[in-house]
Amino acid sequence: MTRWTRKRWLAALSVVLFASFSTAAFARQGAEQKAKAPARAKAWTPPRTPWGEPDLQGVYSNRTITPFERPEEFAGKATLTDEETAELERRVVDRSADKRDGKGTEADVSRAYNEFWWDRGTKVTTNRSSLLIDPADGRVPPLTAEAQRRALDEWQQPALRGGGANGRGADSYRDRSLFERCITRGMPGAMSPSAYNNNYRIVQSPGYVVVSIEMLGGTRIIPTDGRAHVNNGLRQWMGDSRGHWENNTLVVETTNFTNKTLYRGAAENLRLIEHFTRVDADTIDYRFTVEDPTTFTRPWTVAVPYLRTDEQMFEYACHEGNYGMEGILSGARFQEAAK
Amino acid sequence: MKRHHPLQLALVTGALAALAAATPVRAHHAFAAEFDSTQPITLRGAVTRVEWINPHTWIHLDVKDSSGKVVEWMIEGGTPNTLLRRGVDKNSLPAGTEIVVEGYRAKNGTNRANGRDLTLPNGRKLFLGSSGTGAPADGKDPSEAK
Repeated sequence: MTRWTRKRWLAALSVVLFASFSTAAFARQGAEQKAKAPARAKAWTPPRTPWGEPDLQGVYSNRTITPFERPEEFAGKATLTDEETAELERRVVDRSADKRDGKGTEADVSRAYNEFWWDRGTKVTTNRSSLLIDPADGRVPPLTAEAQRRALDEWQQPALRGGGANGRGADSYRDRSLFERCITRGMPGAMSPSAYNNNYRIVQSPGYVVVSIEMLGGTRIIPTDGRAHVNNGLRQWMGDSRGHWENNTLVVETTNFTNKTLYRGAAENLRLIEHFTRVDADTIDYRFTVEDPTTFTRPWTVAVPYLRTDEQMFEYACHEGNYGMEGILSGARFQEAAK
Repeated sequence: MKRHHPLQLALVTGALAALAAATPVRAHHAFAAEFDSTQPITLRGAVTRVEWINPHTWIHLDVKDSSGKVVEWMIEGGTPNTLLRRGVDKNSLPAGTEIVVEGYRAKNGTNRANGRDLTLPNGRKLFLGSSGTGAPADGKDPSEAK
């Protein structure tokens, strides 16, 4: 490693470690969260479209305070009691108290603004202690040795540094995350809960299911007519999705990802399997399974309740005024010049 | 293949994991990359206009500096979408409204800051006091029922 790359590496690492600490409070909020599991379908029969498919249509929110991975405090505990749920929800109310205890710290800057600008939810939407349901410990399985080496290599490539969940460095807009650049949260990021704009509209027509995504916008048009995936050489930022019906469940397989998007270390070898099952009038049991033997030591599955909402979808035209990007890059230049 | 020190691998993997865990609740972009925690700032002034835009709103403010000269500041807030859901719209903050901003100055040295805490001069939280907005309460707003 040259001195230059070492310097870059250390700078990048410090940024990331800092970001990790600065968001530790939020991560802890994750730990505070849990949700009422969608009542699993008993004998409920979903309505059908006029052409006979299960009807998933409507606007849904996947907002939840249930943590993505199982927090340490719930190790060995897949589901939570009513008391634990109440405690989690109480902590969220407490979190919403707009505390300024870290005034003058990066953590306080990272909280960005008053709580009323956020829409992270205040309720659990499942009684599970994590959205991640497989493996049984509720944690993302370890990366393969190859993926660990690759992560470090990618770390040193500016063009890829912005491809992950978080940008590192500010030499160029390309160093910033695809989310900050208003491009995409990728898959399955785009289908996962966020801090606001957690709404989705599902529309069906014969041979297609369409999912419109509020956060960053974007529409997934998923053929369900049995056609094959596009040619293996055609790679897309959101992959190439094909759906089919298994009883009352829509199963979607997405492949053909690019190496420009990273999901927890997985890129072009990612194979994503999603299950959409309407389990009652107001709930879709949404699941995705992440498969990439070059990245993860085993496949893993996340289940997120999608709850019907009366909200209307709003446009999130992120490029409209992304002054933040300008501020980040010009801020870095200003600070370099001041040194 | 390049050789990496095991510690580097451990650190990077750990850092990635920590970031991933924190990801679901992030704002659209990293505020700590844009604003300077070492430059906390308190501004008091009259709203001149609100840029009701995505991904973040910007409130323009006329602030008198120590010499009495009026200087325009721009304050970054959250997405308008959340406020719309709370019943607040772009007419909710008319020009001329006096507000107090506690925030952090932009790293690029311009007259920009994030609105970490926005209040009206009487201490009432901006927007939060609007009735029926469903916004999280913080107990500090005099209008909140105890």
